[in-house]
Amino acid sequence: MITEDRETFSDTVEEEHPVEACTKCTACNTVCPVARTTEIFRGPKFLGPESERYRDQHEATVTAGLDLCSGCKLCEVTCPSQVSIQEYIRRAQNKGAREKGRTLRDWLLGHTRLLSRFGSLTAPLANFGNRNPLFRLLMERVVGIHRRRPLTKYQWLTFESWFKRHRKNPPLPLGEGRLGARRSVAYFYGCWVDFNERRLGQQVVAVLERNGIEVIVPRQQCCGIPAVVNSNTDLARKYGVENVRRLSQLPAGVDIIASSTSCGLMLKHDYAHLLEIPGAEQVGSRVYDVCEYLWMLHEAGELDIEFQPVDTRVLYHAPCHLKSHGIGYPAMRLLRLIPGVRVEEVDEGCCGISGTYGVKVEKYDLSMKIGSRLFEAVKAAGSDSVLADCETCRMQVEHGAGSRSAHPIDILARAYGYR
Amino acid sequence: MRFDIAVVGSGLSALIATRTLQRAGRKPVLIWPGLSSLYFLYATVDVLGYANPTTAEAVEDPVSGVRQLIADHPEHPYARAGLPALQNGSSLLLDWLREAGFNWQGTLDRNLLLPTATGTPKPSCLVPTSMAAGDLHRNEPIVFCGFDGYQDFIPELAAANLSHGWNGGSRNVGAVRVPLPGVKPDRLFTSIDIARSMEDATFRRDVAERLRHAVKDDRARLGLPAVLGLTHDTDVHVEFEKETGHPVFEIPTVPPSVLGLRLFDRLRRHLQETGIEMIWAAPAHEAEVANGRCLRIHLKSAGREQPVEAKAYILALEDAVDGAWRAGAHTVRDPFFHQVLAQHATPGERTDESLFAPQPFAAIGYPVSDRLQPTHQDGHPLASNVFLAGGGIAGYDPTGIKARGGMAIATGYRAAQEAMAA
Repeated sequence: MITEDRETFSDTVEEEHPVEACTKCTACNTVCPVARTTEIFRGPKFLGPESERYRDQHEATVTAGLDLCSGCKLCEVTCPSQVSIQEYIRRAQNKGAREKGRTLRDWLLGHTRLLSRFGSLTAPLANFGNRNPLFRLLMERVVGIHRRRPLTKYQWLTFESWFKRHRKNPPLPLGEGRLGARRSVAYFYGCWVDFNERRLGQQVVAVLERNGIEVIVPRQQCCGIPAVVNSNTDLARKYGVENVRRLSQLPAGVDIIASSTSCGLMLKHDYAHLLEIPGAEQVGSRVYDVCEYLWMLHEAGELDIEFQPVDTRVLYHAPCHLKSHGIGYPAMRLLRLIPGVRVEEVDEGCCGISGTYGVKVEKYDLSMKIGSRLFEAVKAAGSDSVLADCETCRMQVEHGAGSRSAHPIDILARAYGYR
Repeated sequence: MRFDIAVVGSGLSALIATRTLQRAGRKPVLIWPGLSSLYFLYATVDVLGYANPTTAEAVEDPVSGVRQLIADHPEHPYARAGLPALQNGSSLLLDWLREAGFNWQGTLDRNLLLPTATGTPKPSCLVPTSMAAGDLHRNEPIVFCGFDGYQDFIPELAAANLSHGWNGGSRNVGAVRVPLPGVKPDRLFTSIDIARSMEDATFRRDVAERLRHAVKDDRARLGLPAVLGLTHDTDVHVEFEKETGHPVFEIPTVPPSVLGLRLFDRLRRHLQETGIEMIWAAPAHEAEVANGRCLRIHLKSAGREQPVEAKAYILALEDAVDGAWRAGAHTVRDPFFHQVLAQHATPGERTDESLFAPQPFAAIGYPVSDRLQPTHQDGHPLASNVFLAGGGIAGYDPTGIKARGGMAIATGYRAAQEAMAA
């Protein structure tokens, strides 16, 4: 008689050898945007679980083509057995980079916060350089940043500095929160809002304060995803440990919100799973995407839905990393509450940029080809703008389809009368 | 999160249930745990191929066959769902496919006999138009066409098997192989790769040209592995027939199935385009029940459990693949109500030694009420507002009788009706 100490057999297998949960069904390969676009990429099934079975931490990582994985995680979204396909690829990429050494470009792109702080301090000059064809040619040759990729515009005034001023003179230009300030949230604004799109941060603050929510802005470090995608998990872990330490100190009952899909996913999931940071699970369980949070308020009857009509027809592009959150599309639900807003989903898969992936000289063309279906659909639809929760998706859609783009919060802020 | 009705699953039964609710003006949400059986198993919708798993004689009229099966086996999932659910569900599916721009054909009262990749005849009921020309009730000669270096379809094998006993044997069955343009011989490629390339008109014309030269018999129909496009299949098939000058039919290959992938993608996109929300990457478990009703289920989302509240829940899970149940060494439990679904002295009791015999594990599932509610062993519903569709139902083994699609449609449709009334 076999004892029942190993009750759920498959659970045991998954705990001891999670890779064995892969049944080799190939579903991941059918949705992989890179495998769909270039035949030199061997696909997530082979580079993830199949190769993982033969990887040994004491041996060199030799799998060819690993760095072509863009990290969109659609393979994981698709996997019927919930295998962490992309995490296997990520770990192998990181190990390979540690063995071979990183390029200056990948080192720089991993240090987004450093780069952005420099760009912000020298904003007029940096922005001029980023748009100067000669400088861009030089950058392509020396650093490996593709010259046709529009680079982000830096702002001299950071969100952090703005918020300090905002705190000093309680503004609430939109009137008091109608439903009483019972909630406090800590806003993880991320490098993008801090150095490139302060306005989005201001809108997030305005929307939350309009609903009577106290916004706290704790000191924070880069979430670490630029480091992760540039095969530098050591750096990402350093950032993550710092963020987890700071966010753990928030008083109980303070929820954490993020307005960037990928920053949010790092805090919710990757800190605990990929980077194995102690205490990350507790922090992750308090993190909400900003639209997820607002929808939760709405379901609790706490969202002010006295919206002004916003007469606009917009397309919504769901970022790949939003799908990984497992929360559906809260932005779409919120937008449908606003009179005058006609929102349609443009379901053409990955936009192709994947953070810093599409910036690189050897990947730019591939990135544009991956996004081409989305670009065509956006052009054909002829809407006012494309909404996406992720900043690099927005950059890519603007570049590839020549359309305007915004975070869904932009419409919500307008519906509250915020300019 | 609160929704009107929550449908859990991503297989055909989940899609049918969602569409049924949508057509009735309800607002379902589709919660999917990852891709499901549609990617692996489906090419056609089979309603009833064989009266029982051991007969060799194919059923000619599936709907009469199902009527008989219901009369003989009142506990069968077809009997629980009822014949009207099969009939209404099938016409809902055909209308839906048409609206989504997908060409399918067939009726419930007649099976086609279509050649498989190994050249055996298989009874199928509702089929994509790109497969219909393969019907073995017709007499035109067949030439199976393969591609050099493509390992999942061997035209000579299909031809050799089919020529045993069909329509005058080898006189009327042939096989050819052509190289694919621009493919290096050492590269491993799948049907998905070829299907993507076939959407490129230059590539497709080149293949058609090669086949036109290779096939000598002007009257022949061409049987190809299912590679005629991944998303623009209808156009690809029509153009390819013109370009080769022959009727062309597709044959399903090993997973991932191009035919299943097309079906799933088309229907999923159509649901999204018509306003149905999907929650991706969120396996569901843990039903909270109070006073006989399910209050909420929980999703394993990033960072934390996400409660989902709805008026009714449809668990349209395709057995273990979708997490309908979890097997321990001896006990099989369900992740929603923690019921013991099966108990075995050794795991070996779940399988038959012959791969082709009915497998005991296939029949494991929730016992259900006449309204498709999951029940305790005593037949009492676990929750009055939870309904089962598809492979999660006990005794649901569609493999031997070739009834997977029909059972998914019937149970999906019926579960949706019950959910609306709950």
